[in-house]
Amino acid sequence: MLPESSSAAGSGSKVAETVLNALVKRGHSHFTGVPCSLLKGLFRLLEDPGCPAAYIPAPREDSALGVASGLALAGARPVALMQNSGLGYSLNVLTSFNLIYDVHLPIVVSWRGHDGNDAVEHDVIGRELTRLLDVFGIPWTVLDNARPEDGVEAFLKQYDSGRSTAVLIVREGI
Amino acid sequence: MLDIRDALAALLDREPDALTVSTCGFITRDLYNLRDRAEHFYLVGSMGMAAPIGLGIALAHPGRRVLVLDGDGSFAMNPGCLPMIAEHRPNLVHAVLDNGAHESTGGQRTVALGDPAATALAAGYAAAHTVDDLDELAALDLTGTPALVRIRCAPRSHPAGQRVRQTPQQLVERFRTRLGVPQPHLEGAV
Repeated sequence: MLPESSSAAGSGSKVAETVLNALVKRGHSHFTGVPCSLLKGLFRLLEDPGCPAAYIPAPREDSALGVASGLALAGARPVALMQNSGLGYSLNVLTSFNLIYDVHLPIVVSWRGHDGNDAVEHDVIGRELTRLLDVFGIPWTVLDNARPEDGVEAFLKQYDSGRSTAVLIVREGI
Repeated sequence: MLDIRDALAALLDREPDALTVSTCGFITRDLYNLRDRAEHFYLVGSMGMAAPIGLGIALAHPGRRVLVLDGDGSFAMNPGCLPMIAEHRPNLVHAVLDNGAHESTGGQRTVALGDPAATALAAGYAAAHTVDDLDELAALDLTGTPALVRIRCAPRSHPAGQRVRQTPQQLVERFRTRLGVPQPHLEGAV
């Protein structure tokens, strides 16, 4: 789901706070992933010793999904975070674990290369990100920084309390 | 050289209450055919993910013991997860059943492993051991965790047992029921 407009984007760190608070309020207690510059505000909050959620840094995105999958299997409510480049590494876990065991995850994915005007290594995955998710039937929502609560709400509606893996795409830095 | 089934049976006898995650391929099938219980969680894919999934289970249930059953091939696929696991000091025993081969794909030799026990110690595991027989395995003190146990085994001489009969969803439901945690797909929207 694409936002109608992203012109009136809120300040990134404020948006990160809103996104994190909304997820924590809905019971998400463990966050794991690999950082992206577009998500640095979110990771800064997770690294804060006062953060109410546990943060588990991962060496690679597929391992982040592995840890999150174990947490979800065992009844916790994790969130995984990654740059879109990490989606490639993650496809095996998604297709041979999450989507066949029905152990579903909410995943926050940044969108480097979305406008074709980023560093060259992001061109291909940036161009194909939403199509790739569509191929595997994974619903996605693009965060509108002007209305972050609505974005998280739409994302969690797609996640459906653990009935579907869903992706919140972060296009502008938060 | 140890029969891999004897090594598995000895681990299960040692850790009778452990939540047990097995890697895909013949290790899952051997475990299933040896003993099937609700505490077992069989992976049928996602090679290299048994240990990260075990960490997630351990973090969600810090009061429980977790046993991860890796092979040498699946261990070699994801040594990057070792320091991540070590950081959280989970109550987790990470067994590597090492017979030097990718047996479910035809017995090809695995990549050079180096010394998995030394790798685990360098990554921050509290303890790591290499054993060659059941007596050595029985003598291990596995109190400090996470602990890695590399068990050197012989290539299989037995035919692969049946595949796991339950569907992946049934395995999840059984495991969650045993843990007493909610089943999202069986409940009303929260």
